[in-house]
Amino acid sequence: MEVASNMMKATPWQTGEICGTDSAKALTKADVLKRDLKKCKKPLLIVGSETRTEKYGKGTMLDYIIELSNAGNIPVIATGGVIKDFLEKGFENAKSVGAMEMAYFLQDPEWKGPHGTGPYDMIYTYGIPYFMQWTLLSSVMNFAPEITPIAIGRHFQPHAKWSCPNLKEKNWHVLLKELVTLVGGGST
Amino acid sequence: MFQPNTLRIGTEQAMKKKVHFKAEEADTGLGRFKGLEVRIGEIVDDEWDESMGPTPMPGPTTLRSWDHKILTKYQPSYMPYCQVCCLCTMGKCDLTGTKRGACGINMKAQQGRIVLAAANIGTAAHLAHSRHLIDHLIDEYGPRTKLIQGPGTEIHAPISRLVTGMRPRTLEDASIIVDYCESQLAHGLSATATGQEGSWLDFESKVFHIGMIDHLALEIADLAQVSTLDMPQADPDAPLVEAGIGNMDPNKATILTIGHNIIPAAAITDYITEKRLGEMVEVGGICCTAWDITRRDPTAKVIGPISWQLRFIRAGMADLVVVDEQCVRTNVVEEAQKVLAPVISTSDKAVMGLPDRSDDPVDSIVEELVTRKIPGAYITDHKKVGEIAVKVALAMKPIRAKKKFLPSKKKIQKMAETCKKCMECVRACPNDQNVQEAVLAAATGNMEPLREIYNNCIGCARCESACPNEYDLHSWMVVAGEQDCANETYMVRTGRGAIQDTEIRKVGQPIVFGEIPGVIAHVGCANYPGGGQDVHDMAEEFAKRRFIIVTSGCAAMSAGIVKDENGESIYQRRSGDFDAGSVVNVGSCVANSHIAGATIKIAAIFAKRNLRGNYAEIADYIYNRVGAVGISWGAMSQKAVAIAAGFWRLGIPVIVGPHGSKYRRMLLGRADKERDWMVYDARTGERMLTAPGPEHLFYAAETVAEANVLTAKLCIRPNDTGKGRSIKLSHYVDLHETNYGFFPEDIWKYIRRDADIPITLKDKILGQMKDNRWKERPTPDPTLLKEQIHGGGQ
Ligand code: SF4
Ligand code: SF4
Ligand code: SF4
Repeated sequence: MEVASNMMKATPWQTGEICGTDSAKALTKADVLKRDLKKCKKPLLIVGSETRTEKYGKGTMLDYIIELSNAGNIPVIATGGVIKDFLEKGFENAKSVGAMEMAYFLQDPEWKGPHGTGPYDMIYTYGIPYFMQWTLLSSVMNFAPEITPIAIGRHFQPHAKWSCPNLKEKNWHVLLKELVTLVGGGST
Repeated sequence: MFQPNTLRIGTEQAMKKKVHFKAEEADTGLGRFKGLEVRIGEIVDDEWDESMGPTPMPGPTTLRSWDHKILTKYQPSYMPYCQVCCLCTMGKCDLTGTKRGACGINMKAQQGRIVLAAANIGTAAHLAHSRHLIDHLIDEYGPRTKLIQGPGTEIHAPISRLVTGMRPRTLEDASIIVDYCESQLAHGLSATATGQEGSWLDFESKVFHIGMIDHLALEIADLAQVSTLDMPQADPDAPLVEAGIGNMDPNKATILTIGHNIIPAAAITDYITEKRLGEMVEVGGICCTAWDITRRDPTAKVIGPISWQLRFIRAGMADLVVVDEQCVRTNVVEEAQKVLAPVISTSDKAVMGLPDRSDDPVDSIVEELVTRKIPGAYITDHKKVGEIAVKVALAMKPIRAKKKFLPSKKKIQKMAETCKKCMECVRACPNDQNVQEAVLAAATGNMEPLREIYNNCIGCARCESACPNEYDLHSWMVVAGEQDCANETYMVRTGRGAIQDTEIRKVGQPIVFGEIPGVIAHVGCANYPGGGQDVHDMAEEFAKRRFIIVTSGCAAMSAGIVKDENGESIYQRRSGDFDAGSVVNVGSCVANSHIAGATIKIAAIFAKRNLRGNYAEIADYIYNRVGAVGISWGAMSQKAVAIAAGFWRLGIPVIVGPHGSKYRRMLLGRADKERDWMVYDARTGERMLTAPGPEHLFYAAETVAEANVLTAKLCIRPNDTGKGRSIKLSHYVDLHETNYGFFPEDIWKYIRRDADIPITLKDKILGQMKDNRWKERPTPDPTLLKEQIHGGGQ
């Protein structure tokens, strides 16, 4: 897949946000997630306030998250008040928890979550302000080793296991579509 | 070295004997503290009607068991900002996950250590400020100068009483308290050395200790300046002063002061007054110096918060820049040079590379600055600063008057055409502003997107540092926002200082019973995620709900620099009394101590608890009864950590904006774990379940919506009466429904008995209670401390 020419290297989106010895693998094709998807049985989608503002197709990323959640039957945690937008769309599989609360609760290997379907072994993160997602994923990386974190936003999050390497919007949208197919049990 | 426990013995002996304490009366262990003991003798105060509590001048571990109580309820949630440690030469060590460093430290302890380092740094900044003020004021006015907090403040210096057992009456007493603070800071800092503390819990307990010391240093600093420098003294009617860039008079020579320490700025306004030069020169302040100069001289002006330094300098409006200490842009000299404005640095903490001219004659310094032989001068003699600053500004005014420092819109348009579309500016921006898009729009002549960024920008200039074309992007934003800049004309109430005992007497009961639903303090820096208006909006939201709103520092400015439809600021619309629906600006950062002080005074006045050396009991009281919440929406500095830590130890929750997640640890409760919410009933000693309130102690909110919902919820306290609880719940429900779009699912947890149910929400809540098999429970006389159980918990 083509990535923006000056962004080939998977470097953090905010240039100063360098972390440590471990860094996420570049997620450019949904296929690379197959093994993890097979291994992990309990995924959770954690999405933040930017879900309502970032465009996707004719709508916003809210529409995409709903599509993804439905395809894989993945419960959604909405942070920062974006729950309101999900409810307005009549989507019922979302619950409201704060991003910083999530960073804490996920450290508890027995946390069942407001859907009662945990503990989770995989999280997809999206739409929480870059640096906040960065810190949330850092807590997961260091203190919740049993969770496989996948950042599905366009911008590289080094603390995830998999993250998009600052993809061009067009290519990112292709990846997002592949992901819907993949979590729905199809092949990309 | 100052030894708190030894001192305690000394102080008690002296008080019992009602004589001045003398070194030769001490046991041998005291011999080391001779100089101190002589002074302690002078503060012996036989008018106390309170006996000394158990912990005067606590050492680093004296209050450890109180801290542990709080820290087991609100455990740190660490989010390492960096996976490695590079603090000693055995490193760098990779601490990721379960790895340990060469010294044996693990990731959790390392995070605690970094938080402690931040608290130490912040406290050092406040404490050195306090020390400078005290020493300077003693030199100026003498050691026996009285400390006066203002009318109606019999409980004078509540933090000092609580922590030290002392009632500082003179500058010399204040100096003793600063001695104590300095000793504690040395201990706190030493704990971060390689091979010292190793447990996260002990690091965190020390964070609390240093936070408490920070509050003490703040209280002493403000008390000293309020007592000596003609500032409002606990005055709810402190004057309204002009604020905003648009209020600066372009026809006068302009002196920009930046920082926190009023002494040099006061010398400038004094000189202007003395020489009657007010028609020709004016002084504006950025950051806390702005509050303190206007507290002293209401004709001075508040320009704006810390984030406006660069825009004001770049706009070329300052004929001279005078910096004191803290929050000063560190390349201020380079920036000022670009607009031909000389800089005077005045503090040994921020010399800024300038030549020391302290001992030179005034006229020769003025000449060198005006002819630009030197870009600025470091001058420690404040009186000289006053004279030189005014003379230089007056001389620079005509030289600079005809110069234009900002590029024209046309020039910007032309330059923008060569933008490389590399996105480096966007990737550098902490607030993810789409600078590239705005630059491309400017290339077509549309300045609107740059103007929008101007309004959301924290003025860091990281975008332009990153730009390969070396565009002065921040200056472009200032050009695009020129009109907004000119329209920035507001009236804001300057800092009043302490809260009067009489005000506390009036609101103590409704606060403790929960009928005034909360005291919300907007404090701290201007690292906002999207402009300062958010602070105003949050303050207004809760003021109209009849919470008491307190403000300080840059947040107090941001709250005030928004006009309503009548052109009025929040301070014009609302009273400065400490009362429901009011917006009370206490002043600069050092005045944050009055916010903590007000909560402490509630315990003393309403509940008649002794304060002297009685920290744990009072913190326990505040934690269980006083629905106060601190918000620092733009928290940026280590000082903000220190201030927050002082509140944490008092059991007061703090919310920060999203950038606050970079403090890398939250203190969070688990509402789903009942055992975390047990308290003792002081009447019976029984352990009883309470609601999870306050739910968290330190939390970075992602959005204003989240902050508003959480603020209402964090005001809940175990001691609320039925009426109080139902009022608090109504606000929580209303804000939750408005911001989240649904009825909160956890209301049933906060209902103890029928009286707690807000009448208009009864049906919904009863349904929820039924679904969750709710059981009635009595309201305890809540305490976390066994020793508070009547009869001593035996
Ligand atoms: S100066 Fe403003 S736009 Fe530029 S990086 Fe800083 S916050 Fe962003
Ligand atoms: S960094 Fe400079 S050249 Fe690159 S996109 Fe931004 S404005 Fe254009
Ligand atoms: S992190 Fe803070 S102290 Fe460090 S360079 Fe940036 S602004 Fe300055």
